[in-house]
Amino acid sequence: MPHKPTRDGKQASGFVQTTVEVEGRSEVRIVEIPAFAPIPWDSNASLDIVGARVPRVDAEEKVAGRARFTADITRPGMLHAVILRSTIACGTIRTFDAAHAREMPGVYEVLGPGDAPPATRILTRKILYAGQPVAAVCATSERLAWRAIQAMVVEYDVEPFVATFAQSVEPGAPKVQEGGNAPKQSPLVISRGDVEAGLAQADVIVRREYRTPVALHTALEPHGAVAEWDGDRLTVWESTQGIFRVRENVAKALGMPLSKVRVIKDYMGGGFGAKNGAGAHTYVAALFARRTGRAVRCLNDREAEQSDSGNRPSTTQRVTLAARKDGTITAIFLSADIPLGISGWEGGPAQFYHDMYACPNVRSEERFAYVNTSGMQAFRAPGYVEGAFGLESAMNVLAGVLQMDPLALRLRNFSTRDPRKDRPYSGNNLRECYSQGAERFGWGTRPAPAASTTASRLRRGRGLAAQVWPTGGGPPAYALARLNPDASIDVLAGTQDLGTGARTVLAQIAAESLGARLQDVRAIIGDTQSLPYTGNSWGSMTTASVGPAVRMAAEDARRQLFEAAATMLDTTPGALEARESRIIVRDTDRTMTFAEVTKKLGDVMIIGKGSRGPNPPDTAIMTFGAQFAEVEVDTWTGVVRVLRIVAAHDAGRIINPTLAESQLEGGILQGLGYALFEERVLDTRLGVALNTSMHDYKIPTMADLPAIDAFFVTGADATANHIGARGIAEPPIIPTAPAIAAAVADAIGAELPEIPLTPWRVLAAIDARTV
Amino acid sequence: MRLFHRMRLTVNGRSHELLPDSSSTLLELLRDHLALNGSKLACDRGECGACSVLIDGELSYACVTLAAACDGASVTTVEGLASPGESQTLAPLQLAFIAHDAAQCGFCTPGQLVAAHALLERNRLPSDDDIREAMSGNLCRCGTYPRVARAIRAVADGAFARSDSSAT
Repeated sequence: MPHKPTRDGKQASGFVQTTVEVEGRSEVRIVEIPAFAPIPWDSNASLDIVGARVPRVDAEEKVAGRARFTADITRPGMLHAVILRSTIACGTIRTFDAAHAREMPGVYEVLGPGDAPPATRILTRKILYAGQPVAAVCATSERLAWRAIQAMVVEYDVEPFVATFAQSVEPGAPKVQEGGNAPKQSPLVISRGDVEAGLAQADVIVRREYRTPVALHTALEPHGAVAEWDGDRLTVWESTQGIFRVRENVAKALGMPLSKVRVIKDYMGGGFGAKNGAGAHTYVAALFARRTGRAVRCLNDREAEQSDSGNRPSTTQRVTLAARKDGTITAIFLSADIPLGISGWEGGPAQFYHDMYACPNVRSEERFAYVNTSGMQAFRAPGYVEGAFGLESAMNVLAGVLQMDPLALRLRNFSTRDPRKDRPYSGNNLRECYSQGAERFGWGTRPAPAASTTASRLRRGRGLAAQVWPTGGGPPAYALARLNPDASIDVLAGTQDLGTGARTVLAQIAAESLGARLQDVRAIIGDTQSLPYTGNSWGSMTTASVGPAVRMAAEDARRQLFEAAATMLDTTPGALEARESRIIVRDTDRTMTFAEVTKKLGDVMIIGKGSRGPNPPDTAIMTFGAQFAEVEVDTWTGVVRVLRIVAAHDAGRIINPTLAESQLEGGILQGLGYALFEERVLDTRLGVALNTSMHDYKIPTMADLPAIDAFFVTGADATANHIGARGIAEPPIIPTAPAIAAAVADAIGAELPEIPLTPWRVLAAIDARTV
Repeated sequence: MRLFHRMRLTVNGRSHELLPDSSSTLLELLRDHLALNGSKLACDRGECGACSVLIDGELSYACVTLAAACDGASVTTVEGLASPGESQTLAPLQLAFIAHDAAQCGFCTPGQLVAAHALLERNRLPSDDDIREAMSGNLCRCGTYPRVARAIRAVADGAFARSDSSAT
């Protein structure tokens, strides 16, 4: 334990190596040991504001229509840019004619093929997918810019392309990337134990194939940026999950020092993984702004958003599950095919298979392939959502074959240690999730299976699935806590609130740590120029990464405040405590409000500094959960209606249960869409997506809303970090689709190998049933 | 050839004389001419409801409504739900949205509020099914539906009435 605090909480200075898990990938970082370590808030910690159901601190701006999103940013003389996108999947631009567009009144500049700096990697002559940016124009209004786009003429030399995994891996297939159609890491094989030996030990072997669709993030707010130059300094307002990453992307692409790029994010209309860096819209806005000397706004329209802002790639998963009669799993084998689009990373389904159950013999072989479609991006629990559909569906089939309760099967294979890396968990209350979820759902009182095979048109069924997700957060993340002359407190951290509630929970943590009233605390976030670094809001990391830094900054400020107040109260700092923005001399009736102290201090400021310390070594920090679904299937039409979902999750300490439950409900509803409706449809002959509108790409509406009972099992995780919290944003989407699919299978007495469970797939499953 | 259309429009009780491009939408007029940015553009084709406003009391998608067609009309946007003046007292629905955490990212929230307002104007006591049907034209990707429904139910049941100061 290189960073163990001493008795007084002070720590040895220096740097240590620590591991941070981001979206299922491990990163090793060298990080400094914070100057002191707050006493961990364990389950017995007495906290007032942390854990309270306080309203979102920015709710009023949102309901009043005052919250300013990127599209609401206007600058004096601002111009509007629009991007022309490719209508073909693959080829080379032969001619580009923007003469008419340039002559149109109000048109300022055109960027054609080859006009963007190579480091931006946009507006290339080579076209690799439909929807790829070809050219851009900026004009005095967005409407004029669209008209100018219509006046441009592009001629392509169309070339052969690959639209599917099978086409991509065919010998002699057209190359998507110069290096070929297989990413470096493909095939990706992960293995522990001996699967062959595990198969030999088994009484039962289940072999199934599952398919999952390409899913689109479909944030309500499309990607967008406003760019403005002041001399050689660039300011970018961007709807992003990572202001510092956008800064890095822009600085690199435009060949600028980091410090000359300022990225601001105030409010954003959802991200879900698609807004983790700069995009074509960012570069276009910045380039036009430099050329014209004006501020420039560039926003994706809905078609661009649905066709070129990332997606969850499809998968084909061939699963082998082997078990003894008592349900003990002896081997898990996965062979998976994943077409990534023209780019992406290996966020495949395999890790879920390695993380979920205590099986000594697990092997996965993932084959990734580039295809001529828009590149994938992280989408809420990337890989684990896909993997959970495969493994949890197979688990439910196995339970049927063994004539075992699916919940009993999962309890039989519960893992008391992280099975992938054979290390302890910082905490694991999955058993409590199973038991409390089952109780609230009434799982034990489920009707006999015979009830679902009756001849009635409407049939009900029930299913369950479980979830694991690595989500401990980690360094680097920094925060400052500033006590102002009016006794208000600013918490400064360069993080971002995607709608998750980061502003609120960071303010709660600071108020708790300082002994201040919540209404006195304001979290200032989303500006690379004036705020200390924190990482992207991805991997469900923000609370567990930034929260401890905020707590430390607030405690550092409180220490200084106590030192100042001690001289005013003629006592020692150790005799003081703080509650509700008031300092109390313990065991006396002497008090001073924060305002009385700051009034005496005048313009002498108290500034506390905090940083996120290293993670505990060799420890798996995971969030767990179990979801139970009940559905009603119309066996005449194939329409599935989800009646209710019970979701029990374990994410350590919950800073604000109301906001956290909102996250659970949001994940569940996205999981419901993934299970029933959502699927990008590709015309494989043209390589063009056919449903790039919100009408044709169906996300759930309120009419699809089931009764949702989503909750957290209690318990702080003081081993994970000193605020006791783990991540919650991604986990709830993971088990929803397999739970719903299991319920549909239960209702109709047939297996569902592919989602979404559209009416025709459900009817096909009913027709294929062996009676 | 661009044509302009001189028109009068009352927005949130204030009257304006405007000269929009004849192809402008009502949403452009509100956002770009009147700086009322509460109504959002998310799909630009009447699919998602983020631009929902009331035109003479009728719930409408401002992104697919021609501005020129609204000559003489009275429009209510999310900015018009709170009582006017310096106090800007929030409407019961807005208070209910806050209390029930019905806004996550907040981008669809203005449209949700206007649609909910329209529902309660025409049906003081909606059933749960009435709420689901009336609100199904307003998409939310964060998944606030359960809380939007609860907030509307609370207001329909008389909570957050303007005289009820404890609701704040």
